[in-house]
Amino acid sequence: MNFAGKVVLVTGSSRGIGAAIAEAFAAEGATVVVNYVQNASAAEDVVAKCKEVGGDATAIQADVTSGEQIQLLVDQSLQDFAKIDVVVNNAFKPYTFDPDNRKQFADLDWQDYQGQIDGALFSTYTMCQAVLPALKKRTQGSIINIASDLVARPTIPYHDYTTAKSALIGFSRNLAAELGPLGIRVNCVAPGLVYPTDASRKTKERIKEMIIAQTPMRRIASPEDVTGPVLFLASDWSRFMTGQTLYVDGGLVMK
Amino acid sequence: MTEAQIIETLLEFIAADSAGENEFNAFALQIFAYQFENNAPYQRFCRQREKTPRTVHSWQAIPAVPINGYKYLTLTCCDPEVAERVFMTSGTTKDGVRGKCHHPTLEVYDASMTTAFRQRFMQDHDTIRMGILFPTEQAMPNSSLAHYLALALSEFGSEGSRYLLTDDGLDIEQLFSELDRAVQTGEPYALLGASFSFVHIMDEMERLGKSVNLPQGSRILDTGGFKGQSRELELDEFYDLLQARFGVPRDQCINMYGMTELSTEFYDWGNSTCPSVKSGPHWIRSRIVNPLTGLELPKGEMGVLVHCDLAHFNCVSSILTEDAGIEVDNGFLLLGRAEGAEAKGCSMAVDEFLKAAQG
Amino acid sequence: MTLKAGYLPGVSDDDIEWQTLSYNRDGQAIDVRVPLLSDEQMKHLSAHIKEKSRHYLKSLPVSDITAIIDTAITRLLDRNNAYRQQAEEYLPLITGYDAEMIRLGLTGYLKTFRQPELRRFIAEDFANPKLLDEFQPLPKGGYGRAYGPDLLAHIWAGNVPGLPLWSLISGLLVKAGNIGKVASAEPLMASWFTQLIAEIDPELGECLAVVWWKGGDVEQEQALLNQADLVVAYGNNETLQQIRDRTPITTRCLTYSHKVSFGMISKTALDMGKAWEVAHQAAFDIVRYDQQGCYSPHVFFVERGGAVTPQEFSQYVANELDCFEEKYPRRTLTIEEAGGVAAWRQSEEMKAFADESNSLISNDGGTWSIAYSAAVEDLVPSGLNRTAKVIAVDQLDDVAARIAPYKAFLQTVGVAAPPAELHRLAGLLGAVGVTRISALEHMTTPEAGWHHDGRFNLLDLVTMTEVERSAEIASEAFPNYVD
Repeated sequence: MNFAGKVVLVTGSSRGIGAAIAEAFAAEGATVVVNYVQNASAAEDVVAKCKEVGGDATAIQADVTSGEQIQLLVDQSLQDFAKIDVVVNNAFKPYTFDPDNRKQFADLDWQDYQGQIDGALFSTYTMCQAVLPALKKRTQGSIINIASDLVARPTIPYHDYTTAKSALIGFSRNLAAELGPLGIRVNCVAPGLVYPTDASRKTKERIKEMIIAQTPMRRIASPEDVTGPVLFLASDWSRFMTGQTLYVDGGLVMK
Repeated sequence: MTEAQIIETLLEFIAADSAGENEFNAFALQIFAYQFENNAPYQRFCRQREKTPRTVHSWQAIPAVPINGYKYLTLTCCDPEVAERVFMTSGTTKDGVRGKCHHPTLEVYDASMTTAFRQRFMQDHDTIRMGILFPTEQAMPNSSLAHYLALALSEFGSEGSRYLLTDDGLDIEQLFSELDRAVQTGEPYALLGASFSFVHIMDEMERLGKSVNLPQGSRILDTGGFKGQSRELELDEFYDLLQARFGVPRDQCINMYGMTELSTEFYDWGNSTCPSVKSGPHWIRSRIVNPLTGLELPKGEMGVLVHCDLAHFNCVSSILTEDAGIEVDNGFLLLGRAEGAEAKGCSMAVDEFLKAAQG
Repeated sequence: MTLKAGYLPGVSDDDIEWQTLSYNRDGQAIDVRVPLLSDEQMKHLSAHIKEKSRHYLKSLPVSDITAIIDTAITRLLDRNNAYRQQAEEYLPLITGYDAEMIRLGLTGYLKTFRQPELRRFIAEDFANPKLLDEFQPLPKGGYGRAYGPDLLAHIWAGNVPGLPLWSLISGLLVKAGNIGKVASAEPLMASWFTQLIAEIDPELGECLAVVWWKGGDVEQEQALLNQADLVVAYGNNETLQQIRDRTPITTRCLTYSHKVSFGMISKTALDMGKAWEVAHQAAFDIVRYDQQGCYSPHVFFVERGGAVTPQEFSQYVANELDCFEEKYPRRTLTIEEAGGVAAWRQSEEMKAFADESNSLISNDGGTWSIAYSAAVEDLVPSGLNRTAKVIAVDQLDDVAARIAPYKAFLQTVGVAAPPAELHRLAGLLGAVGVTRISALEHMTTPEAGWHHDGRFNLLDLVTMTEVERSAEIASEAFPNYVD
């Protein structure tokens, strides 16, 4: 897969899955915009790795919960690279995945839901609004939204988080339907539990073992496992796919 | 880089014996970044082509402006008001506007011209007695060719070199006396000028039954083609005639290929066979592309010429010409203007329409 | 692979000089042998055709002629027929057009020449088709009969497959003997059609010939012009002027010059539900035969005020063109053709960065391009080969005035608008010289019996012989039964 000459924007890519995605694109020759909120030095490390593996990259600070900052992020990317080919909406609002101490439905406020919906959906919605004029101008582009396999199989019912991710898939399908006639594709990648990332570092061994036991491929996803399907959906190899969700969880979910 | 730095580096670059691919590439990218930053219309053009200095890593990838672009855009990095000289292009818009090439200084143009001219036209001469078949720089201050020829005369013309065109046209008596003098003294003589001027002269010589046999070492430089200014000749016929009228062998008849939109010229090594192989000095590189895709064509296939002329630092270095060419060993064959084909069907083509609409 | 073009009744193949046209498309080479007649042979052929058309064709009832043509067309529509199979196999190689596009195009085109359509075609021009068979009473009094020429010369141009059939069939319907000169760009289809006619009715086959010479060969052309009773010629203005100048003064010369066509889209066609469909139709008109037809659109005037803006519409069209590129790839262009497209794109590109409200979209390979202009612009042809321009306008009604100066070049307008607007626009467009208004997606497929460039295709070919009322009355004085 050759991404030479392609410009890829990955939100929240200073660490975890986002960083792995950024580096994977760079390894195929892409120019990557590494977006981060706080950790500038981590972002610079990712940029350095991107360049090391044969791509080009630049780090741009922007809080994707702010519409204004998202616009600045897109403007700056276009300023530097004159176009955007691929957007990966990977950033999400911090969430503690703690099965033992998760809130029950009765304990959840609407604010909990609202917070997750804003985290997952608002940033993606805003990013899509900001980047669409540039994509429509060229009648091409690929948007990839990172969801979760919990939407299909709530192994642990993280109500607010999973509801927001479910909404993200519905959002993506509608956008895909509208943008298809303009040559722009919108798809989702839904990973299972990915380890290690900052979000999953606290996940108990017992839980991991439980998931492994139920996973046909008998292990937990690494950040690198997620990159393949993302690159695939960004590439011409998937040029006739839109509105799809690819599950990346070793077969835990089959649909 | 600043303008001053670019000029300084360019002068060194031109003075060097040669340049490797890496050196050329690195400098081309620096000049591209300079032009991108300092020329807003060119930056818009590059952005539309989805290229920025950040995404361009080789001189071949630098967006080449179609030569027509000069008619519509002011392509200059320096303030047009402070330019030392403005050369105007021959092409015009439908409103009669001519494209302009601004030169903040002629230092680079002159260094480029004299260095290549010395190598390619003068060969083993320091100076030669010259006759110029073109108006003076004073008469045509916006003509790059007038400046080129003035420079040839002032830098390489020995005493007695002169213009043979006056305000009243060709000074045929002066020309004949120069030719006769050369024959009598045996001093090599050089005639330089527009290709069509040579046709006019030779027509006149034929009428008068005149031909001379210029001494060995004499040479001829023609440039620009016939452009409807004289009858059109096949190249072989043209050089046969030059050889017959002036006694200058075809391999000493050099054709220069240049244009206002460049600061460097291409030459051949004589025209014993046509079309001759053209090449330029080490600060200009050319590619043959498909005009539609911009992709480079395999050696031997006909396409359109793209030049990257580092010396044209103030405007744009990379231009897409309308000249057809084929890449060969040691240069390219120039095959004249690339014409659009007429539509195959009954749908009207742009040129035909414009012709018809004008009545 | 070598094929033979031309059809020459009464002339032996051995006596003729044959030349070879070579075609090479994407690595597949094909040679076509074409006949080059001497002046003497052209005279002989002309005399033969005139003689046969006088003695056979002139007495053949029109209904018989339509039946024979119908049989030929039915065979060409049959995908198992050998001629049809040849057409499907070789026309893509000769012309470079996508095979599937040619297959569908041929079917759509040939369908317009079946018997019911031919009868409609005749009825368009002759209120009483019997005028072509025998003297008929005329409303003004007296009797009249329409005669086609003994020798109708066709000088065809272009590479759109099958186009020569149009004038050839018109000639047959008025009982003309026909000699057609095929273009080097597509010499086969007319040759096959005449052979097929000859197989079905050998005597009718003696009334038709297909010849060739290299475009611009004055001597050859003159030889035919000297013999013809009527000339129908296609080409650019320059070519047509030359043909007209060389046609003897007593011979009529009908010319069909190159034309420009365009589309118009009303804001009411641009809601979220219909805009895509309209863009699809517009793109189809662009894709069909790579805009080589006189009816192919160059420009689309798109009205502001719909839910989908004119610029978004241009983006929809861009994507549709990209989809069509998968289905019907554009033919490979010569470097000269590529230069023509590039020149158009460059000038559009210049406009786009002189004014950022303009834009140009195309794919990497340059197999399609769509320019967009936010400001009203004059009508200028596109770069052809799948290049078109969307021009935003405040009101479609304003377009007619802008195109009025180009009256001599206008032909088809594809319109997407509600009925009242369609009819209002038709009035405005007709007044400035537009001769055909069609739906989008149908711009390149004129209906049976259309009036090419607004002319009466059959009426233009005939002369009327009238027996005036006075002759009838006077004749009453002379019979032997006069009292």
